Amino acid sequence: MTYFNFPHIEEDDNLKNLRNDVKSFLKTTFNSNNIKPQADAWMYSANPEFSKKLGEKGWLGMSFPKKYGGREKTMLERYVITEELLVAGAPVAAHWIADRQSGSQIIRYGTEEQKKEIIPKISSGECFFAIGMSEPDSGSDLASVKTFAKKTADGWELTGRKIWSTGAHLSHYMIVLARTEKLDEKNRHSGLSQFLVNLKLPGVEINPIEDMTHQKHFNETVFNNVKLNKDALLGEEGMGWQQVVGELALERSGPERFLSHYILLDNFISEFRYKMSEMGITSLGKIISELQTLRMMSFSIAWMIQEKKSPDVQAAFVKEAGNVFEKKLIETIREMSNLIPFEEWSSSLKSLFQDATLRIPANSLRGGTSEIMRGIISKQLGLR
Amino acid sequence: MKDEVKIILDICDKILLKNVDHHLRLSLEPNSTQFKTLKDEIISSELTKLLVKEDLGGAGMRLNDIIPIVQLSAQYGTPIPFIETIISNFLLSELNIKPENDFITLTNKTENIIIKKDKISGNFKSIPYLNLAEKILVETEINNQKYIILFKKGGKFRLQKNFLSEPKFDLDASDLEIISMMEKPEQIDVQNLLINIRSIQSFGAMEKILKLCIEYCSQRKQFGRTLSKFQMIQNHISEIALEVAASGASLSTLKNNNKNFYNLKSTAIPKIRTGIASGKVIALSHQVHGAMGFTKEYELSYFTKALNSWRNEFGNEIYWQNILGKLFLNQNKNLWEFLNH
Repeated sequence: MTYFNFPHIEEDDNLKNLRNDVKSFLKTTFNSNNIKPQADAWMYSANPEFSKKLGEKGWLGMSFPKKYGGREKTMLERYVITEELLVAGAPVAAHWIADRQSGSQIIRYGTEEQKKEIIPKISSGECFFAIGMSEPDSGSDLASVKTFAKKTADGWELTGRKIWSTGAHLSHYMIVLARTEKLDEKNRHSGLSQFLVNLKLPGVEINPIEDMTHQKHFNETVFNNVKLNKDALLGEEGMGWQQVVGELALERSGPERFLSHYILLDNFISEFRYKMSEMGITSLGKIISELQTLRMMSFSIAWMIQEKKSPDVQAAFVKEAGNVFEKKLIETIREMSNLIPFEEWSSSLKSLFQDATLRIPANSLRGGTSEIMRGIISKQLGLR
Repeated sequence: MKDEVKIILDICDKILLKNVDHHLRLSLEPNSTQFKTLKDEIISSELTKLLVKEDLGGAGMRLNDIIPIVQLSAQYGTPIPFIETIISNFLLSELNIKPENDFITLTNKTENIIIKKDKISGNFKSIPYLNLAEKILVETEINNQKYIILFKKGGKFRLQKNFLSEPKFDLDASDLEIISMMEKPEQIDVQNLLINIRSIQSFGAMEKILKLCIEYCSQRKQFGRTLSKFQMIQNHISEIALEVAASGASLSTLKNNNKNFYNLKSTAIPKIRTGIASGKVIALSHQVHGAMGFTKEYELSYFTKALNSWRNEFGNEIYWQNILGKLFLNQNKNLWEFLNH
C-alpha cells in the first residue's frame, strides 16, 4: 500500500570525493575572482565567466552523451555538484536553466543537428536558455497558451508573448511552448508543440520586469511574427504537452527548491552558534530534520531520472515540500534569534535575511504554484 | 526488496488480512478464539523469529529487512505484541539466547530493580500488550551496567489510563522468575532501536490513514457531489500525502545501514519528521472524515490514537528537536558537514 516511493540511495565514495572537489574549486574560484556568495543565486546571480569555468571543469552537461560534448556522468553526480553550488551561493543563474532542463529536452527530443549545434555549448557554459511556458493570460493553466506557430513554406512564423522568462535578457535560446493548431476545448492538451527559438532573431523583443525586490531577473518576451526555420521544431509536432510535462519534472525536483536560502541559515549559525536559546536550538533541530528529509527525497528523484523512470508526481512533492520548508525558514530564523535582537546581527546577515524575506513569496509561484502541485498529487491519488 | 523479504511479506499479509479487522481491535481478549488463532498462526509461521540468527533457529534477517514488515503490521493496525516479540527475540539472539515460542513484550522504563538469586523485583512502566504476552524483556541498569533480562509475567499489572489504541500497563513485580539475564552489548542501543521501530510504525499507520481518507471521500456525497471533488478536500488529502511521503523518506537511512537503528542522528531525524507529520495527519484526516471519524466503530480513530501514542513516547518530537540541535552544535562542524557526515 505504499503510495509514493522514494528509494534510498546511498552516497558512495565517488560522490563524496566529487563533493570535496567541488568545495575546493569553489573556495579557490571565489577567492581569486572576488565572488561573493548570494542567496537564491540560481535566480539572481548570473556570472557567465563563472559558468564557463564550470564548463571547463566538466561540471555542466554532466549526463549528456560525450559525442555531443557531454560528460556521460550520472544524474547523482550532477545532483552532488548542484547541491554544492547552491550551498555555496555560487553565481549559477546564467547557465542554470540550460543545464537543468533545456539541454535534457534537446537530448531527448532534438534532431541530430540541434544536438550537435547546442549541447556542446551548454556543456562548455557558453549557451544559456530561458523557459518559454507562462503567458500573460496563461499562468497555472499552461494548456491555455495562445502563442501561435503558423506553418509557412520555409518553416514557422511565431507570434505571441511569454512572461516571467527568467534570464531571457542573458540567454541565447528559449524553448517555447506554442499552439500549432487551434485550441480544441475538448482536448486542450493536443495541438501544442515546442520550439527552439534563437532569441537574437528579428522580431524577438525582451522587456525587463522589475520584481518587488527591485531586481530585473525576469522579463516579458514578445515574438512579433518571428520567422523560424523548419528545424526550430523541437520534438514532434503536436506533442508539446507530453514533452513539457517531462521538462517540468526536471524543473521541480532539484535541490534549488529547498536550498535557495541555505546560506542564510548557515551564516546565522556561524554568527550566533553560541548565543542561541534553548528555543532556538529546538527550532534548529526541527529544520535539520526537515532539510535532511528533503535532500533524501530529491536525491532519490535524481536516481529515478537516471533510471529513466518518470517521477513527475514525486517532483511535485519535492517542489511543494521545498516551498513549505523555505517559507518556514524565515520563521525558524526568527525563532532561533529570539534572544538576539536584529540590531546585533552583522550587516551581511541582515541583508541575507531581508532578501530572503522579500524573495520567498516567489518560491511557491515559480515552477508551478503550490495549488498546482497539490492538484497533481490529488490527481495521482485518483481524487480528480 | 530482496526475494526473501517479499515472500515473508506475502505470508504476513495473508495472515493479517485473514485475522485482523476492526472488530478484533475493539474486542480483543487473551482468551478469545480470535486472539488464539492469530497468535498460533503468527508463532507457527515463525514470523516472530525473523531477526533471530540462523544457528538459533531463526530466519537470520537484518533489521533493515523487516522495515516493510513493521510497516505492514502498522497498516493493519495489528493489536497484538507481534513486533514487540520480533524485537525481543532479536535482542535475545544478539545475546546468543534461543528465541521464545511465545509472545514477549518489552520495555526500558524500569525503577527500583532488585535481583535476588534468579528472581527480579521492581517497577516496570508503559509495557505494551502485557495482557497478551507471557514473558517480559527489559533493558535496565544495575550498578552502572545495562542488562537485558527476560522474565516470566506475574505480579500485579495495571492498565494505564490514556488515550491510546494499544493497551499499556504498569507492572509492580516481586520475585518473578528470570529466564535469562545478560549484559547488554555495547553496540546495541535499545532505546534508539525502539524509537526507530515506532517511527516505522507511524509511517505505516499514516499510509493506512491516507488510504481511509481516499476511500471515504470517494464514496461519500454531499451537495450532490462526491467529497473527493471538492478542492478543499483534495487540498487536505494532498497535504496528508505529502506528510506521508516525507515520513517515508525520513526513514530511508535505516534502509541501507543497520547501525543507523542505534545512531542518534539517524534516530532523531525520522522521530522528529514522523512526529511532525503525525500531528498534521491526525488533524487533517479527522477533518476530512467529519463526525464519522470521531466514532469508535469506524477505524480511523484506532490509527489516529496509535499515532498520538507513538509520537509522545520516548520524548516527543520537540524534545528530540532539541537533542538534534545540540548534537549538531556540540560537534563543532558547519551544518553542511554535519548533514553529510
